[in-house]
Amino acid sequence: MLGFVLRRLIYMVPTIFLVSIVTFIIIQLPPGDYLDALAAEMGEGGSDNTAIMDSLREQYGLGQPIWVQYYKWITGIVFRGDFGVSFEKNLLVNDLIWDRLGWTFGISIMTLIFIWATALPIGIYSAVKKYSVGDYVATFFGFLGLAIPNFLLALVMMYVAFKYFGQSVGGLVSPEYLDAPWTWDKYVDLFKHIWMPIVVVGTSAAAALIRIMRANLLDELYRPYVVTARAKGMTEFQLLLKYPVRVALNPFISTIGWILPTLVSGEIIVAVVMNLPTTGPMLLRALLVQDMYLAGSLILIVSILTVIGTLISDLLLALIDPRIRYQ
Amino acid sequence: MTYQIRKLPSLRGTLTGVGLALTVCAPAWAYQEAPALADMVAAGSLPPVEERLPSNPLVMDVIEQTGEYGGTLRRAILGGGDQHNMVRTIGSENLVRWDPNWTEVRPNIAESWEVSEDASAFTFKLREGTKWSDGAPFTADDIMFWYEDIFSNPTLTPNKDATFVGANGPVEITKIDDYTVKFDFGSPNGLFIQKMAYGFGYHAAAYPKHYLSQFMEKYNPDIQALIDAEPTAADATQLFNLKAGPMDTPLFWQNPDRPTLHAWHLTNAYGSTDRVVAERNPYYFKVDADGNQLPYMDRITYDQVEDVETILLKTFNGEIDYMLRHIGRPSNKAALTDNMERGQYGFFDVGDLPANIVILMLNLNNQDPVKREVVNNKDFRVGLSHAMNRQEIIDLLYFGAGSPAQTAPREGSELYKEEYAKQFTEYDVDLANEYLDKVMPEKDENGMRIGPDGEPFQLIFLVADVFGLQYPDAMELIAGYAKDVGVDIQVRATDRSRLIELHTSNQQDAYLWNCSGGQADAYTTPICYVPQISNSVSWAREWAAWGVDPSTGEEPPQEVKDIFDAYDQVTTAASPEELKARMEEVLELSMEQFFTIGLVQNDPVFGVARNNVRNVPNPLPIAGQLWFPAPYTAQLYFEGGDNLP
Repeated sequence: MLGFVLRRLIYMVPTIFLVSIVTFIIIQLPPGDYLDALAAEMGEGGSDNTAIMDSLREQYGLGQPIWVQYYKWITGIVFRGDFGVSFEKNLLVNDLIWDRLGWTFGISIMTLIFIWATALPIGIYSAVKKYSVGDYVATFFGFLGLAIPNFLLALVMMYVAFKYFGQSVGGLVSPEYLDAPWTWDKYVDLFKHIWMPIVVVGTSAAAALIRIMRANLLDELYRPYVVTARAKGMTEFQLLLKYPVRVALNPFISTIGWILPTLVSGEIIVAVVMNLPTTGPMLLRALLVQDMYLAGSLILIVSILTVIGTLISDLLLALIDPRIRYQ
Repeated sequence: MTYQIRKLPSLRGTLTGVGLALTVCAPAWAYQEAPALADMVAAGSLPPVEERLPSNPLVMDVIEQTGEYGGTLRRAILGGGDQHNMVRTIGSENLVRWDPNWTEVRPNIAESWEVSEDASAFTFKLREGTKWSDGAPFTADDIMFWYEDIFSNPTLTPNKDATFVGANGPVEITKIDDYTVKFDFGSPNGLFIQKMAYGFGYHAAAYPKHYLSQFMEKYNPDIQALIDAEPTAADATQLFNLKAGPMDTPLFWQNPDRPTLHAWHLTNAYGSTDRVVAERNPYYFKVDADGNQLPYMDRITYDQVEDVETILLKTFNGEIDYMLRHIGRPSNKAALTDNMERGQYGFFDVGDLPANIVILMLNLNNQDPVKREVVNNKDFRVGLSHAMNRQEIIDLLYFGAGSPAQTAPREGSELYKEEYAKQFTEYDVDLANEYLDKVMPEKDENGMRIGPDGEPFQLIFLVADVFGLQYPDAMELIAGYAKDVGVDIQVRATDRSRLIELHTSNQQDAYLWNCSGGQADAYTTPICYVPQISNSVSWAREWAAWGVDPSTGEEPPQEVKDIFDAYDQVTTAASPEELKARMEEVLELSMEQFFTIGLVQNDPVFGVARNNVRNVPNPLPIAGQLWFPAPYTAQLYFEGGDNLP
């Protein structure tokens, strides 16, 4: 087991290295650079800004060949933990992202809990009570959750919150708490807002898992081992949780590897619409203006998350499913 | 609650009196200040108001009535690239300013100015005792610091801004005494005072020597320590750019330590937090007619959001006190009207009136000789213009808010002439075909026109989705109208930076854009009337380059050279009457050439202000370099001294 983990950790190094190169190249692929984007935005002022552009190009080292820029970036990260500078914000990437990554993780983990807490019981229920009224209701909402695009759901929920509850929308706290210290009232206000992104991001994932859980469990429920256990006189509830559910959990666990990065980067549009202080809007903005060190660092971190997530799901799978452990 | 603001006289565009020297007398009574500052003075942490104000503070004209102190003006800002949001509210203090109607130049940081007989030299008298926002004195030395160490330094300023360059080259500035400076161009420059009142005139008074000199090797031998302490700078030039970036880049707003002459100064950097906060500058040099030190409002906050729709919802919710940016579009008007009561706000008019908002800019210097030959034929442009159903575009895309027009000065501007605005705007397919038949009579089996080289003729139009002007939708309609008369227009959607890259390297056939020059800015930025190099407008880049330096670019035909000569006469005109006469000549020649095909002149747009916000200029004129309402935001106030609940 230890050897397996160790081997996996070693494999991660070249993977991440390759990802970092590809990331950097992809960000550089669109024509132009940050300064072209800046020039476009400064066009509003109405003058020709070639003067300041020339000196800024020098300042940001944008005139250098791409591999020199990459070398500076990657050695900074490896040896000093320095992710470079965000051109647009003129701040170290380090100063910008950790706070946002914190919020991102917080929301992600709560969303994960929400997904599991809703998908597991509903999935089990609709498998056990197949074709009951409850199953149809759950299925109906499940399909709705799958079909509605997240950003649309976000817009609708924001509108409802605004229209009928008079709530201030956008962001995780009301404007009056924006730069206030963390008090009890601010926490209360936070929880008045934070359920919205959790529900919006969680709904479609939960809907998918309900369907998967239902299908998997249906496969297991009529297996001979279940019949055997029942024949031996186990109570129905105990039996359900101990054997078929455990086997049916497999897809839940093997998708952790994907859920982590999806929650971090996949919900960009929701985060933009709901104005969340997470990494999504920052990444989108960085890509739009070709703020390459910021975008590169965020993508690199998301890639590392995917690799770590995959490792975690492999380990959990081995733990929960004996068939995998002995392979 | 009803919403009332006194209507100001509408825009008239009368020219400023060049050579006019204005002095406003200091009131004889005592000055008053904001209650919060009075407490600080009593506690001894701030000098008394008489010592903070210049000996002769600027007395602002009353917009509506004398205000009350207090409150926070709440706005929203996008997460990146939205620095003009701040530039246009709290930036833009120049030596001189335009009055709130954009008709006349008035004193600002300078208390008066004198113009030499031939309009080649300008002497500005500064207010004695003016102070930066940190309390340090502002004198002629600050202007000289900018001139000698920044403007004249080729490393920091490789290309000079056109405001400070005359026919004989860059301006020469000399210090007469601590409060007097002379700007000398060596040849007439009749537009200089006007230009100084526009955005880029701010350069002369935006560089505090006492603060910025520490970031220069010349003044600070220990600069290496500062470079080492700044992780985002590697050498002295980078350090200086970082600390002293221009106001229209994000850099300026990312250094809250930099002292300014603005009414509010930043307390945190744009982009670093979810809210940008600007606090009252206790040393601001303006007072109202009763001697109350401006600004009235304590703070301005900008909540950072990522999506324009969020700003709209915030407005409905009453979380925005005064704003036109991002929300003042015809498509938002209905929703904003529905929620007026809930958000407790009203509308004011915004005279954002460019020469045209939808212009077909055909590249007259196209690198393809066949396309160049065709688009340079005026009959082709006239034919294409008659093929456009302008009214349909206005009805479908702009909710009927606009009128069919060419790229020309607008009604209400002193340069307006009906024939300029209305020539060839009539929608007439037969007439269009008649003109086009003179250029390309042959058609293929699909009815599309064949070029003079015998090949199918095609124009590739670039289009970017910008300014909320629905260009991609407009372009589809335009391509349809062109097809009706046998002109093949292919549409290529692109983003704005790619578009700029293509047209600055002269690789485009044509694109859709807008153009300033509808009002008084026709004098200073005639980019659609005279070939000029700009980073947004390009329809004859090679000619423009030749116009700057005949050893570069491409020699234009005589008609275009005549326009260059005529505009030279404008820039060297010495009196306002001559200025107007010369500009009319330029327009006459330019309109005859019919360089670009304009489709729509928009109606005034609008902004929203909450019901107790007073002294709102209405209509508020804005334009490319007219960075309004910044010089007048200090006079906004809340009736009752605070935000509505």
